[in-house]
Amino acid sequence: MDLFSYLASGIGVYVGLVVFTLGMGWRVWQWMRTPRSPVRLALYPKPQTSLGRLGKLLKDTLIAPQSWETAGTLMAFAMAFHLAALAAFVGHLRLVHEFTPLVALLGVEGMNQFAGLSGGAAGIIMLVVVLYWIARRTYGAYRKLSTPEDYLLLALLLGIVVMGDHLRFVGHLHASTYQVWFASLMAFKPAFPPELADSATRLALNWHMLFVDAFLIYFPFSKMTHAIGAFATNLVRSGE
Amino acid sequence: MEKQTIDSMVGVLDARMNRQLKQYMDICVRCAICKDACHQYVGTGDDKYLPARRAELLRQIYRKYFTKAGQFLPALYEAREPDENLIDELYESTYACTGCRRCTYYCPFSIDTGWITAVAKGVLIAAGRGNDMLGQLADAALFKSENMDMFHDIIVDGFADIEKELHEETGRDIAIPVDKQGADILYVALAGSHSIKPAAIVFDAAGANWTLSKFEAANYGFFFGDPAKAKLIADRFMNEAKTLGVKEVVITECGHAYRVAEMFYEAWAKEKMPFKVRHVLEVFDEYIKDGRIRVDPKAIGERVTYHDPCQIGRNGGIYEQPRDIVTAIAPDFVDMTPNREKQWCCGGGGGIVAMEEFNDVRLKSGAKKVEQIKATGATLLACPCENCRLQIAELNEVHDLGLRIVPVMELVAEALIVEGASKPTA
Repeated sequence: MDLFSYLASGIGVYVGLVVFTLGMGWRVWQWMRTPRSPVRLALYPKPQTSLGRLGKLLKDTLIAPQSWETAGTLMAFAMAFHLAALAAFVGHLRLVHEFTPLVALLGVEGMNQFAGLSGGAAGIIMLVVVLYWIARRTYGAYRKLSTPEDYLLLALLLGIVVMGDHLRFVGHLHASTYQVWFASLMAFKPAFPPELADSATRLALNWHMLFVDAFLIYFPFSKMTHAIGAFATNLVRSGE
Repeated sequence: MEKQTIDSMVGVLDARMNRQLKQYMDICVRCAICKDACHQYVGTGDDKYLPARRAELLRQIYRKYFTKAGQFLPALYEAREPDENLIDELYESTYACTGCRRCTYYCPFSIDTGWITAVAKGVLIAAGRGNDMLGQLADAALFKSENMDMFHDIIVDGFADIEKELHEETGRDIAIPVDKQGADILYVALAGSHSIKPAAIVFDAAGANWTLSKFEAANYGFFFGDPAKAKLIADRFMNEAKTLGVKEVVITECGHAYRVAEMFYEAWAKEKMPFKVRHVLEVFDEYIKDGRIRVDPKAIGERVTYHDPCQIGRNGGIYEQPRDIVTAIAPDFVDMTPNREKQWCCGGGGGIVAMEEFNDVRLKSGAKKVEQIKATGATLLACPCENCRLQIAELNEVHDLGLRIVPVMELVAEALIVEGASKPTA
């Protein structure tokens, strides 16, 4: 691995994962050690049972039906992004371990085609949404409300998605190549297989990973903590 | 700004910090979904009334003094030492907020901007920028309790005068008991007879064992943003209730007073009260349903609509009892759209009706309420909150709505059927 590859697609991945994990743990610990609000902050009507509370928590956090009523377009874009990001995350798990039952069902070529279509769709959706979010922050009340943090996060997301889409649509390497690189990461001996090391795709992967590393490092210190915090704040809404 | 003042502001924020506030500070993504949920932003289009912006001002201080990231990269997070500009904007956006929490309802993370502005008021007080009018009203309430020996006879004489008025108006002898040991109910009214007379008529008709508090329910300490004062003001009737040994404290038609007594007081006092707290309309609804009082189902001939005050509705859970009462006496009832938890704030809560400097934004922020009322075609608005009534009365005048705005309990008193009564009940 050359220096850039080693920093972005080698050591950077470890640093990103460690900072992300410890950072989120530290963030949650900070929240937990702060005393709860002594007063009741529920909104009414609220569920009467613990099960009802759990159901409402999941509905409010994963669907947010009330937000759709007042900001349908934004919610549609946001929901599309989150679902596409989830799909992309699940798809990336293939790098850790091949989805053997699916490969048995579809065949290697069929699996690659399925991954190409679903991953491609997720990549395009995420790109469209990130561009929409950037555009939205450039006018009116949204611009005035936005902080540099908002733009930094969007820039990182744009970098991840654009380079990811580049790997998907321009690069000519299949999952098996990336699996070798990922196996080396998991063995703590990061290295590119020759077909990746000798390919121009290497540069796109390195940039993709550099943005991912930076995103992971920044995540616990940003508003991205809503990924966990929203469950806690939405629970307050449902009361004691 | 002097270091001592900043230390004091940061100290207040530290003292008021809890898990929920910390999460509200950390996780807002500034999506601004709240903007179209806020009656003030919708009515004025002014960015300083955008809920996320209100919270963002406090968040700038929070990041500066409570987060390592904000201290390390202040420009990235807009972490900021408070200065006069920040304080000016914080004052305007905070004291204008009615605390209706409609933005919380629509926020995908349920960020409680009403709670954030309550804390921001504490920070402003520490900076010497608390609202003077609200502060003076809170102090006046405390002065009354500290000098009750001086006021006691005047108050009791005033209640005797109301008894005489009731006799003239109803032809019946309706007692207004005060300091009644062993009463079941301590009724906490507002200053003035309008919240005492209809309640006295209904309690009397129901044969209730009640007594009237010497203290009014309104809590300007809460509006001012000082929980210590708010508790002391509520202490007045809570201690009275303990001394008299009542079974329940019944709060009059005053939204924030109900929320303070039912939702906040026990947490502030750090003790469980030996009585329950109920809203007067919960009690009157029960009287009608249990047959303790009889009402004329056609008493109100005109079209009636109902306004959910935010503090008893979205923030208090009382939606159906007032509607059940109104529909029991008014055949032509039309609900507003939207209603219940989605009800628009009228724009008069949070103490804003007492602060003249916000008159312009207050009236503009009533635009949605005016739209809603017009759409019902009603000529009578049943409204169980003093602040809402004051605001809507002004909107009524400005927009020529031709509305009669009446407390729900007054409608109950109007509709009451009393055997042998020779004169109208109210």
